[in-house]
Amino acid sequence: MNQTVLVCDDAIFMRTMISDILSQAGFEVVGEAESGLQAVEKYRMLKPDLVTMDIVMPDMGGIEAVREICKNDPEAKILMCSAMGQQALVVEAIQAGAKDFVVKPFQPSRVLEAVQRVLA
Amino acid sequence: MDLSKYAALFLAESREHLNACNGSLLEWERSPASVEPVDRLFRAIHTIKGMAATMGYTGVATLAHSAENLLDALRHARVTATPAVFQLLFRAVDTLGGAVEGVAAGSEAEADGELIAELDAAASGATSGAAEVQAGVAPEAPTPSEPRSRRASDAPRSRPVQVTIRPGAVMRGARAALVLRRAEGLGVVSGLRPPTAQLERDEFDGRFFFRLQTKAPDAEIAAALGSGGEVDAVQVEEAAAEADGAGQGRQIRVDLRRLDALMKHVGELVVAKNRLTALSGEADEPALIELSERIARLVSAMQTEVLAARMTPVGEVFDRFPRLARDLSRDLGKQIRFDMEGEEIELDRSILDEIGEPLLHLIRNAADHGIELPEQRISAGKSAEGRILLSATRERNTVALRVVDDGRGIDRERILAKARHEGLAGGEVDTLTDDLLVRVLARPGFSTAKSVSGVSGRGVGVDVAMTRVRALGGTLEVRSELGRGSTFLIRVPLTLAIVRALLAEAGGERYAVPLAYVAETVEFDRRAVTSVRDREALVVRDQVIPTVHLRDLVSATSEAKSGRQPTVILEVGERRTALVVDALLGQQDIVVEPFDAPRGMPSFVGGATILADGKPALILDAAALL
Repeated sequence: MNQTVLVCDDAIFMRTMISDILSQAGFEVVGEAESGLQAVEKYRMLKPDLVTMDIVMPDMGGIEAVREICKNDPEAKILMCSAMGQQALVVEAIQAGAKDFVVKPFQPSRVLEAVQRVLA
Repeated sequence: MDLSKYAALFLAESREHLNACNGSLLEWERSPASVEPVDRLFRAIHTIKGMAATMGYTGVATLAHSAENLLDALRHARVTATPAVFQLLFRAVDTLGGAVEGVAAGSEAEADGELIAELDAAASGATSGAAEVQAGVAPEAPTPSEPRSRRASDAPRSRPVQVTIRPGAVMRGARAALVLRRAEGLGVVSGLRPPTAQLERDEFDGRFFFRLQTKAPDAEIAAALGSGGEVDAVQVEEAAAEADGAGQGRQIRVDLRRLDALMKHVGELVVAKNRLTALSGEADEPALIELSERIARLVSAMQTEVLAARMTPVGEVFDRFPRLARDLSRDLGKQIRFDMEGEEIELDRSILDEIGEPLLHLIRNAADHGIELPEQRISAGKSAEGRILLSATRERNTVALRVVDDGRGIDRERILAKARHEGLAGGEVDTLTDDLLVRVLARPGFSTAKSVSGVSGRGVGVDVAMTRVRALGGTLEVRSELGRGSTFLIRVPLTLAIVRALLAEAGGERYAVPLAYVAETVEFDRRAVTSVRDREALVVRDQVIPTVHLRDLVSATSEAKSGRQPTVILEVGERRTALVVDALLGQQDIVVEPFDAPRGMPSFVGGATILADGKPALILDAAALL
């Protein structure tokens, strides 16, 4: 069975791109979220194997969402998607429980490497 | 082997370690649960012991050994850190400091037997539980390498770990955070270097170190941390211990006098270069001009390097103040929280060496006169704990050092009354501005303290600080609000030896104005002249700035030029003055020559220099012109 992914990003462009990269690699994108709040709700409903999480989102940011998700499921596998210059936020996300991160602009190979590490 | 040549190194390193010990002790006292300060303390004392033993300073080594035993017992939780234990450790660090200075001065004293006995008793107190310590049975404490081999193999072991992030990886700091998270999954992480804040700002070369206490075997640690992504290498144990020192960037110790000599030569080189540039400009010979430009570039690169080599973080001087603040708060019966910011800001070594004492006076003043007693604070509606903040910030070509307290503030009425009484202020002065206030406070011997407290109050606070700071070409300002607290602000140039200056002419003589205090240059326009309190002032973009005519100051006799005159706007903090000159001659790096002001030298002259044409010029002291 394919491993399932929840893609969280407020930009449709980014969601589409990440979904494409992951589904081409054999993952099943079971849901998308465009806010931290949605991410937390959908994680609870879908129990995906992996979450990709944007940092800056409306209605609860990515870091807060990581914190919420990990509170209920410390084993949650969350991959942060960050822009350049957000190092401090990435560190915060890691301390909140995120398992790895990729930096935009995305190279598919980099994203998949990170996903493999998170799921290992 | 001749050990005498190592004596200076021993002294310098021991001082550093002892300073760090005070910091670690304070940190530990604040949060007794954290292990990192204990580890650091243990390592520092252990190093001192090793060095002292090598040098043959038995007294120092014996004392360090006893302190180390106690620390070892503490870090393995055989002894609990009580206030009494902290007090004992503070005493040990102080005594060690005295002993180290003593041997450096050539007089080795006997080890303090009483203190050693107390340390040993405290260290063994744990092994015998609450039971009384029997004389003579204090167990031989294990040396740091012994317990490792003695421990059962499945007990957690503490090991040094070095991790190298792949070069070119993005956000290496965040990578490091990931690796550390993984390490925390295996056990307890301590002694992280470089510190977290530095890692998070990516200010490291990709390598970092920490100690990991875990049951996991080395191979498992390496595998777990290595799979964190973008990790090049993980070294556990010995290899990491060896590489330990290298991680800070390869450094060598250099005698400061060498750097001073080098600086002096570069200073002379700068003067020669300026002269060469001037001459080649006149010669109109392309090859010469090209060569002189090349030399100018090389000299300026060299100057930058030498100056950089002399730059030292202010933290080196700040380090001793937390201890001072702690002792002050105890002696004065006050509750004081002491914080520091900007320890990483760098200053030229020679300035740094001079800045400690002024800061010391200001911090003492803040603790003694500023912060109120707990009950007074509470009845004034404040928290019982007062706060003193020591901060450093870089502002243009200067460094601003602030001592801020949230105490009672300065009572201007009282100062004014006292100033009138001593004839410092005439009857026409009815309020003390911050400017006037600092001038009154800085009068030698001026103190309003009703009694001398042993901490301060002899009136040698602000005036000493002021004199020192002025000698460095710096300024001292004060801002104070009654009931809310005071801020003393010291502003010093980044470096003393070579400064960039604006050359101005007045009455046929040339003067150098340090660029650090030049806000801008404008033209003196008679139509923009107004007056404030009977003083001529210039309106520059809606701001009224009092003017000073350099011609008048230097009593120039030649005829003044009519019409527009160049004007230099000097700025020190928020105060500004418009200095009207005859002509501006451009910028130049000038070498500040040591200068013993002859009698009668006006206060606005801060030093002297040799200009590009080989002729001398006076350097103006911006602060004195305000």
